[in-house]
Amino acid sequence: MVLLLQYTLLFASVLILVALGGCFSEHSGVINLGLEGIMVMGALGGALTLKYISPNTPALLIVLAVIAASVLSGAIYSVLLAVACINLKADQTLVGTALNMLAAAAATVIVKSINMAENPDNVSSTVQYVQSKKALVVPIGSFQFNWFMLVALIALILAYVILYKTRFGLRLMACGEHPQAADSVGINVYTMRWAGVLISGMLAGIGGIVYITAGVSEWKFEVGVAGFGFLALAVMIFGQWKPINIGLAALLFGFFRALSNVYSGFDFLSALNIPGSVYNMMPYIISLIVLAFTSSNSRAPKAEGIPYDKGSR
Amino acid sequence: MAGNEEYAIEMLNITKRFPGIIANDNVTVQLKKGEIHALLGENGAGKSTLMSVLFGLYQAEEGTIKKDGKVVKINNPNDANDLGIGMVHQHFKLVQCFTVLDNIILGDETTKHGILQKEESRRKVLELSDKYGLKVDPDAKIEDITVGMQQRTEILKMLYRDNEILIFDEPTAVLTPAEIDELMEIMRNLAKEGKSILFISHKLAEIMSVADRCTVLRRGKYIGTVNIADTDQNELSRMMVGRDVQLVATKEDKVPGETILHVENMTVPSKLHHNNAVKNVSFDVRSGEIVCIAGIDGNGQTELVYGLSGLENCTSGKITLCGRDITHASIRERSTHGMSHIPEDRHKHGLVMDYSLAYNLVLQRYFEPEFSTKAGFLKKNSIMNYANKLIEQYDIRSGQGAPTIARSMSGGNQQKAIIAREIDKNPDLLIAVQPTRGLDVGAIEYIHKQLIAQRDAGHAVLLVSLELEEVMSISDRILVMYEGELVGEFDPKKTTPEELGLYMAGAKRKEIGA
Amino acid sequence: MSGQNSSNQSDSFLSKPAVQSILAALLCIVIGLLIGYIALLIISPKGATEAIITILKNYFTYPTKAAAMKYLGNTLVKAAPLLMCALSIQFCYQAGLFNIGAAGQYVAGAGASLFCALALKLPWFVCLLAALIAGGLFGVIVGLLKSYLNVNEVISGIMLNWIGLYTVNMLLSGVKETASPYTVSVASTNEAALLPSLGMEKLFSNNKYVTIAIPLAILVAILLKVVLSMTVFGYEIKATGIAKDAAKYSGMKEKRNVIITLFIGGALAGIGAAFLFLSGYEQWSVTQSSVPSMGFNGIAATFLGGLDPIGTIFASYFIQHITSGGSYLDKNIYPSQISDFISAIIIYLCGFVLFFKLYLNGYLRKRAERAKERGISKKEEGGNF
Repeated sequence: MVLLLQYTLLFASVLILVALGGCFSEHSGVINLGLEGIMVMGALGGALTLKYISPNTPALLIVLAVIAASVLSGAIYSVLLAVACINLKADQTLVGTALNMLAAAAATVIVKSINMAENPDNVSSTVQYVQSKKALVVPIGSFQFNWFMLVALIALILAYVILYKTRFGLRLMACGEHPQAADSVGINVYTMRWAGVLISGMLAGIGGIVYITAGVSEWKFEVGVAGFGFLALAVMIFGQWKPINIGLAALLFGFFRALSNVYSGFDFLSALNIPGSVYNMMPYIISLIVLAFTSSNSRAPKAEGIPYDKGSR
Repeated sequence: MAGNEEYAIEMLNITKRFPGIIANDNVTVQLKKGEIHALLGENGAGKSTLMSVLFGLYQAEEGTIKKDGKVVKINNPNDANDLGIGMVHQHFKLVQCFTVLDNIILGDETTKHGILQKEESRRKVLELSDKYGLKVDPDAKIEDITVGMQQRTEILKMLYRDNEILIFDEPTAVLTPAEIDELMEIMRNLAKEGKSILFISHKLAEIMSVADRCTVLRRGKYIGTVNIADTDQNELSRMMVGRDVQLVATKEDKVPGETILHVENMTVPSKLHHNNAVKNVSFDVRSGEIVCIAGIDGNGQTELVYGLSGLENCTSGKITLCGRDITHASIRERSTHGMSHIPEDRHKHGLVMDYSLAYNLVLQRYFEPEFSTKAGFLKKNSIMNYANKLIEQYDIRSGQGAPTIARSMSGGNQQKAIIAREIDKNPDLLIAVQPTRGLDVGAIEYIHKQLIAQRDAGHAVLLVSLELEEVMSISDRILVMYEGELVGEFDPKKTTPEELGLYMAGAKRKEIGA
Repeated sequence: MSGQNSSNQSDSFLSKPAVQSILAALLCIVIGLLIGYIALLIISPKGATEAIITILKNYFTYPTKAAAMKYLGNTLVKAAPLLMCALSIQFCYQAGLFNIGAAGQYVAGAGASLFCALALKLPWFVCLLAALIAGGLFGVIVGLLKSYLNVNEVISGIMLNWIGLYTVNMLLSGVKETASPYTVSVASTNEAALLPSLGMEKLFSNNKYVTIAIPLAILVAILLKVVLSMTVFGYEIKATGIAKDAAKYSGMKEKRNVIITLFIGGALAGIGAAFLFLSGYEQWSVTQSSVPSMGFNGIAATFLGGLDPIGTIFASYFIQHITSGGSYLDKNIYPSQISDFISAIIIYLCGFVLFFKLYLNGYLRKRAERAKERGISKKEEGGNF
């Protein structure tokens, strides 16, 4: 039971971080379908930090270094989306998809190259971080508290404050709803959209490292992050683009994802003899059902997905 | 030479080109301090472009702008704002899901450590609202308030920024007659307080009533500036159009024939609001008459037409066309059984903008045996021939004729294409929604003639219009719509715009004929 | 004077949409390869030039013509399903739908065709039909969700990709080899389920995987071109894609069209999977935990092909060519995924094609205007005489 709670909170943390990322990007007016790819790049940055940092470094420093690396790699990677979608007015769906494929391929190439450079016989795409990963966790009884849970909670609160209480949030949302209005009062729509996309890159970057360190101590980069970026988008839609609702939606989705990790530990569940694939499918099926019920009256930002062109009014 | 201190803003010899056209050709406007200065011109005369130059949205190729006699450079709306120039745009620049207060402060927020300090702002807004008689509810969301209050929000946006020069771009188009009077009063107040106002319009009566001076543009060219006290409507009209205009269409009296369209207790839901947009409406349109639905924008006219054309399902009621119940008929069925529809939004509904003109001209007929084979192939030759016939008959002008992409055509010719397509279907009922919006006088006259020709040929015409002048001049019968209901029926010969205005504003209502 | 004429000619040549599409595609390829080359240089500068040549040469690496033909056959065997996935995405894109679910529809087609072939022992044409229906049904789910419940087709497509993967893994675990996670081979279990080759294998040095799948895929591309550009159905699909509201206004049943389009798109991807798995070239691994990349590579092929069925034939071949070429790299120095990396870069660059065309057209227009002004000023000068 504790295990289920632990995994639920962990996966919910991933979903909260990434969904908030999507939320910032969409409130600025850019649909970020490349969250999946950004997660992979963030995960790569974090994993390599874990790999190379000395396990003797103070735990707090390790946590901070990992977060910094993930944030940075996620943000840098999201620049590709920002340039294409904001400045060059490219098709946002196409670019997002390209970023997802590019991240999977690039991460695999990078990790394999590193592994081969270290040992020519090691052609795997796996990064190991058994030792340093321990720094991320603080055991409280049988519950393993993970620092990232706290990070997600802070991010959630900050997102709420930023969006609804600050000048930046007000301006950001104006750009996603009515960029012409924002422009007419002297707000630079391009800058705000860049900010939205970069924030989404940072948050999705952390989400990536949380995901790959959730249950395991090594990650094979060929498999990517298994559609989690898109689950996060479903969470965002279910949460109606509002931070608090996103937090609740993430808990629900996190629960179903956690089930597939721990179902064998529950006697009555394993007695049902349902194949593991069914549990694996659960989060995706749930999200389809949820989307089916929530999409018809969605409150998506009105101008999202439409490139802003100063000339057309 | 020292600058002339008499003027708040001078735009001298402004020229602004776009690919293919010269939007402003050596135009000069001088706005005196504390005056209301009208800028008059037809649609497409270059008024909006000129104001966009002043507001920093465009940069002019030639000419200078002076503020208080000093040359200034305005590169973006921020520069304009710094110079105290504010603008109420024709299409309001308001964020629908924000509150009135949020919209007013957006871009000029008071903050403390990055956190918004809304209380201070609210106090300032309420003060201004009191001082100038601009009633608003600061906490209401834009999507829930009336158009009039939205406009007052826009005005408050300028006052909140302490703007001295206020531009009003076609501000009366969306208002009721009473609201227009109120706005005129507000403008006079603002001028009295020392604000200088540029008032863009093509409505002569309003200019005569409120402006001190008037500058006229025609086809991008500067025609002249006159004192309102020394001129009259006829002179302004001649300056604007370049010739004497007979806006009142000539048509012979005609006795209407049998009933073509019969609508009984129709109710249509609204996508924008929770309440029904059209409530329990009943009326008839007979052959050989033009029935006009008059009303202020947003009182259910759009939804009424959606219900009639099948774009939206009616929740109750019955529609009969030529004796046939079409309440639940598909859009295609209505279109092939005698209904033509010139839609309100020609870009969204009327045309597939990236299709050729020829393909657009068969948009409702491509599946007919004339244009496609039994096996489902298009007969391209027949489509081209048909398109060429319509192009000639209706004088549709375009770059390369039938293969021209619709997007590259002028607004007037796009509308002509739609009208050609709809009229050539030889419909029993023609529904035309704001068919002259955004067009110049020549195109308007042409379209009015076509509508009257339909009527004279014994067809029924249902016209939805926001322009009272148009309503009065071409209709045989007027129905006024207010908040989704028909509130009065009038004979254009026996009523006045003032009387219609009262009904349009909801101040009066009476039971309709049947 | 003659110089001006020739520049006008080249201008009008450049302003043709087809020419611009080909130009843009070539530019994407060149930049993509360049970035790939830079990546190779970073990994190990010594063999980088050789490596990029290896990728481009693919089967030409083989010294004899016979061997090269055989491996050309292999590239074609995989290019056929890729083309089908690309056509699936393209057809839906014409109707304004981004069918990222093609990957899942491909998985469904693979599952259905293999199940029919291995468990039910049915002949190949029935297996093909099963793949068509399974892929189509997966498409229809996306279509129904989109048109009646307004669910974004990209997100529902991704979800269905994963649902499809796990379902097919379950479905096929009954027909897998005992010692490995792979399904039993079609050739040894049910030879009737193998696609006929009609003697084509002889052309490719007896490559037994070369089947009618290859000409069929090309035929489908041509058929699609005809449907889109010449039929009433194509007229409706494209109108729905570029102007949904106008399509509705004109009386087209846009919801029905969305569903039909996605059925056809799904069917194409499903058949694509059958084209591969019924050739016996590959076996399905029931433990695979990521969605096969065929459907995603289809996105690259379709956009590189300039969203034109005929262009896509060549683009699919090219993408598969460099993907196969990647497998000839020295695996102890360079990861073979460098090819995927190059394809991904190419898709990303395809996002700029529209911008490229706008820029080019703007440039041409300015030139034309300047030429016209020159012409006018010359005339005026003439008038002064």
